[in-house]
Amino acid sequence: MAGKVIVITSGKGGVGKTTVTANLGTALAMDDNRVCLIDADIGLRNLDVVIGLENRIVYDIVDVVEKNCRLEQALIRDKRHNNLFLLPAAQTRDKTAVTPYQMKELTNTLREDMDYIIIDCPAGIEQGFKNAIAGADQAIIVTTPEVSAVRDADRIIGLLEAEGLKDPDVIINRIRMDMVEKGNMMDIDDMIEILAINLLGVVPEDEYIVVSTNKGEPIVLQDKTKAGQALKNIARRIQGEELPLMSLERDTLVKKIKRIVGLA
Amino acid sequence: MNSAFTFKVNTRGVLLNLNPEVKFEILKEELKNHVNGASTFFAGVDLYLNIDGCCFQADQVREIMDIISGYQDVNNIYFTSKGSSSKNENRYKRDTVLIKGTLRSGQKIKYPTNIVILGDVNPGAEVIAGGDVIILGKLRGVVHAGARGMVEAQVIAFKLQPTQVRIAGYISRSPEEGISSEKLFKPERAYVKDSAIVVEELSI
Repeated sequence: MAGKVIVITSGKGGVGKTTVTANLGTALAMDDNRVCLIDADIGLRNLDVVIGLENRIVYDIVDVVEKNCRLEQALIRDKRHNNLFLLPAAQTRDKTAVTPYQMKELTNTLREDMDYIIIDCPAGIEQGFKNAIAGADQAIIVTTPEVSAVRDADRIIGLLEAEGLKDPDVIINRIRMDMVEKGNMMDIDDMIEILAINLLGVVPEDEYIVVSTNKGEPIVLQDKTKAGQALKNIARRIQGEELPLMSLERDTLVKKIKRIVGLA
Repeated sequence: MNSAFTFKVNTRGVLLNLNPEVKFEILKEELKNHVNGASTFFAGVDLYLNIDGCCFQADQVREIMDIISGYQDVNNIYFTSKGSSSKNENRYKRDTVLIKGTLRSGQKIKYPTNIVILGDVNPGAEVIAGGDVIILGKLRGVVHAGARGMVEAQVIAFKLQPTQVRIAGYISRSPEEGISSEKLFKPERAYVKDSAIVVEELSI
């Protein structure tokens, strides 16, 4: 088995890398893939909390690279899906505890046993970023409809290209269609025009994300949330399925009538 | 060329070319002799020490500085390693560098020549050219044309919406409200006219 290594990155902090990582991992595992999530944010680990596995950590990524334990000992099996694993970050160390070469070795070992290895990249462009992208075959950039986030995403695309990671995909997170319609938020076309890369999906802002993150239950486990549906669709696109972008516009009565009479 | 140094007058001042093939001791002696014989030789001008090809120790640089300071009333003393003769500048004016691909935020290119870009210049990217800048794409970043003082330099782009455009010593930015969302390409040209940067539609 030769698994695919995907890094989730953004440049800017707070755009939802960790949430996207946890949800894509869960969604891919729900589709019967063997998935391993790696938290590369050493010193500021979060992924374990978001996915609800915090209290099961014994060993972490630094223990693995320093050979204090075997890789299998550090992998935590998810409580809901037995084909989903987490390799947590160390909380007491910093980004220099791991080198890009070690990350490459680690992902290559995991590749043999997994279908997908998803790396949660820390914010920034320093050592942590370099570690996270070292072993990746593909990059997914998460951005939000803000000028600053798009600017950082653009910078990241340039850096990824310099490291030989060509053609990254982008996920636009936390969009609010009501604000876009009023012209108060950057729309999707504007962002894609600047970034000029493939759009993997658009995730609407959803207040349930806050609840799900705090509870440690990925939103893809919930049916009927638009954000969860959008993330599930993204997971299917990662697996090679061609899915149209789902409509995020709110169904107003006028629109419904227009559709029925064939005007829209 | 056997002498330890030669002079050349250019528009900025006097260029003092040190001969890298001459032993340091000889160079020192000849400089000393010249200072003693003509200490007011460089009065009122900028003196450029061309050390191109030379390799000096820190102490040797200090010794040279001690000797040079014997010239009286020199305006400024500069070190340079470029043969800043007019011949070289002409060469740069003619040359053009072609950049294939989009320049993204944080990427910066700088050439003393003209620059042509086959792609966009995104916000946060920077282009600095000695001559003209032509962008076959959208310009949204910062461009400096004629960065060595060439006022005739111009900036051309399929869509001209720079964060900032500079030509020689002039600087200008896009109007605050004018961030139009027009998707159409409308080639425009920015150049200096009557001491200001003006933008006009490019007529071909």
